[in-house]
Amino acid sequence: MTARRDLWAGLAWTSPFLLGTVVFLLIPAAMSLYFSFTEYSLIEPPLFVGLDNYRHMARDGLFWKVVANTAAFALGSVLVGTPLAIGIAALLEARVRGSSFVRAVVFFPTLVPIVAASIGWMWLYAGEHGLVNRLLALVGVRGRDWLNDPATAMPALIAMSLWIIGSPVVIYGAAMRDVPRSLYEAADLDGMGPATRFCNVTLPMISPAVLFNVVVSIIWSLQVFAVPAIMTKGGPNEATNVYALYVYRTAFDYAQMGYASALAWVQLLITLALALIVVLGARRFVHYRS
Amino acid sequence: MSDRAESTLHLTRRTALGALAAGAAGWALLPSRPRSHAGVPRGRTEITYWEKWTNREGEAIQAVVDRFNQTQSRIWVHRIPVADITSKAMVAIGGGDPPDLVGFFTYNVPQFAEAGAIMAMDEFDGLRDGLPPLDPDLYAPAVRRLLTYRGRQRVGVNTCYTLGLYWNRAHFRERGLDPDQPPTTLDRLDELGEALTALAQDGRIERAGFLQNMPGWWPTIWPIFFGADVYDAEADTCTIAGDACIRAYEWVQATARRFGPEQTRSFMAQFGRSNHSAQDPFISGRASMIMQGPWMANFINAFNPGLDYGAAVFPMADELAGAGVLPGLLEADVLAIPRACPHPEEAWTFFKHMQSVGVQEALARAHCKPSPMRTTSPGFAVGHGNPFVGAFDAIAKSPDVKVLPQTRVWKQFSDLSISAFDAIWSGADVPTELAALQSRVNDQIATDAARRARRSRA
Repeated sequence: MTARRDLWAGLAWTSPFLLGTVVFLLIPAAMSLYFSFTEYSLIEPPLFVGLDNYRHMARDGLFWKVVANTAAFALGSVLVGTPLAIGIAALLEARVRGSSFVRAVVFFPTLVPIVAASIGWMWLYAGEHGLVNRLLALVGVRGRDWLNDPATAMPALIAMSLWIIGSPVVIYGAAMRDVPRSLYEAADLDGMGPATRFCNVTLPMISPAVLFNVVVSIIWSLQVFAVPAIMTKGGPNEATNVYALYVYRTAFDYAQMGYASALAWVQLLITLALALIVVLGARRFVHYRS
Repeated sequence: MSDRAESTLHLTRRTALGALAAGAAGWALLPSRPRSHAGVPRGRTEITYWEKWTNREGEAIQAVVDRFNQTQSRIWVHRIPVADITSKAMVAIGGGDPPDLVGFFTYNVPQFAEAGAIMAMDEFDGLRDGLPPLDPDLYAPAVRRLLTYRGRQRVGVNTCYTLGLYWNRAHFRERGLDPDQPPTTLDRLDELGEALTALAQDGRIERAGFLQNMPGWWPTIWPIFFGADVYDAEADTCTIAGDACIRAYEWVQATARRFGPEQTRSFMAQFGRSNHSAQDPFISGRASMIMQGPWMANFINAFNPGLDYGAAVFPMADELAGAGVLPGLLEADVLAIPRACPHPEEAWTFFKHMQSVGVQEALARAHCKPSPMRTTSPGFAVGHGNPFVGAFDAIAKSPDVKVLPQTRVWKQFSDLSISAFDAIWSGADVPTELAALQSRVNDQIATDAARRARRSRA
């Protein structure tokens, strides 16, 4: 009787979350899966077309373009962002003067709304009067029109994404503080230098945190939307048109909700597959203390 | 754990009564109708009207709505300014909760009309509303074309615009040019553009004479000034790779090459979000000539009323200038009645009111635009906010004026054109780029046609 009452109490307290998950996640996801097999423009009833939307992707040139752009963004932000965050965290954990202040400075960008940050970075990147080019001019380098040049627009967005690196830095810092002192003492006794100690002690011990951050970064970077939507609108010449932006345009600008749903499901499958590959592939390199 | 659960679920009589009392108080305080309806006089049918305009243009349409609300006692129009109106209207109509009227763009018409999501005007033919019938002959011919899709009028007009050339008279004088002689041919436009451009010592553009990527909002317009079409309506085919179109974009590319694609882009990037503000390239004096719509006068009046400028018909290729034709692009904002809207009859009454010559001329004057009607009242231009409205009006009434392609894939066409324009501006081979664009657009048209056919069969 008591167990049953406990169950009902638990269900009652979790019901808002359960209800929210069903109404706002599971039902829309199921509907989106159904729409992905239909031709649907929102203003007409959906028409079942089987796998046509999925087949259409193979011959949609823009689909492959946005896949390549998104892969470039993800590779850039994860491959550069991960070592950078680990490096900053290691420097901050070195207990030098002012490290708390620097930690706050590094974390601060994560508190800035992404729209405000994007507008600010547009000014920094501005061709003639932008701070980036002004600083380059001081050292005699003529800057470029970063966001309007197809060759530099995507690297500029990746660089901007690296600015918002505070959360992984904090996680890496916490993981580094959690490394047992005894291991460092043993490493010192073995005569390891700082670099060897970092590679053989610190990195293996923080590897679960690295794996977590890499998976989260992959998921985040494959879903990037606001930054290119605000800063470049996918241009110039589709150079920064990323997957999520294409899904949005297909749904609301081109009124092809069925095709957009299929694109979204493929995005989900790609993200899941990549996350799974990383998690399984990293098993050899990740060291769990337990 | 179970004790805690029991204590959590325990309800005393006092708590239950308190909760009931709070509920009753909340019910009593609940307003009888939404706050947005507070100003609606009793007995009126309220209709909702979504419109995209804000600021001065929003005030102008609100003034029209207010006048309508004051001049009759049956209907109350509630205008709601809506950004990103197409997608929101799509969601509202698809969700079965549409407004009574929506201010669309003309490129929305094929999409919504074919889906049956907006009502055709002939569906109101049998309605006895005691008002004079809608007369399509009142519209300028090109405007009427814009409002009609597959032989039926689907929407009403809500101001129209054409594009002209604005020039800074002070800059002309400064370079020893006649400020009363704007260019009439593209060759002359090039000459003046070069003469008026000011470069810094390091090659940066300090002031642009004329650039086609400024503001760059109409990437498919240039073939019009070479007498070409980018779309064949009868064949439902994109024709942007035709010879005259190639000549048009080679002319565009020549400008980019003359001043440098990177320099011109860099110059333009300074004004990314400043168009129609005090920092607008033309209003701030950083550009000597620009292609813009009639509304520009509104912004000049607001931000730099002392600007010494003129506006005229946009120049054209030599052979056209000699042939006495007057080409240009006519576009309009349109008013639609969504199917299944709550008050179609009342919406129709307001719609007809909006289609009267008087209302459209008042709105056009407030927006500094030409009249969309076939004939213009004698006093229309007197005291008009745009002193050069005659030039825009002449284009609107010209038999040579073009309208946007009426195709369901116009948005894709437009987005692909922006990319192609970028590539051409950067130096891509023009015939190759246009052929690729034409092929991509025609693929979109074919895919869309196949979808429509499948839906028809279903």
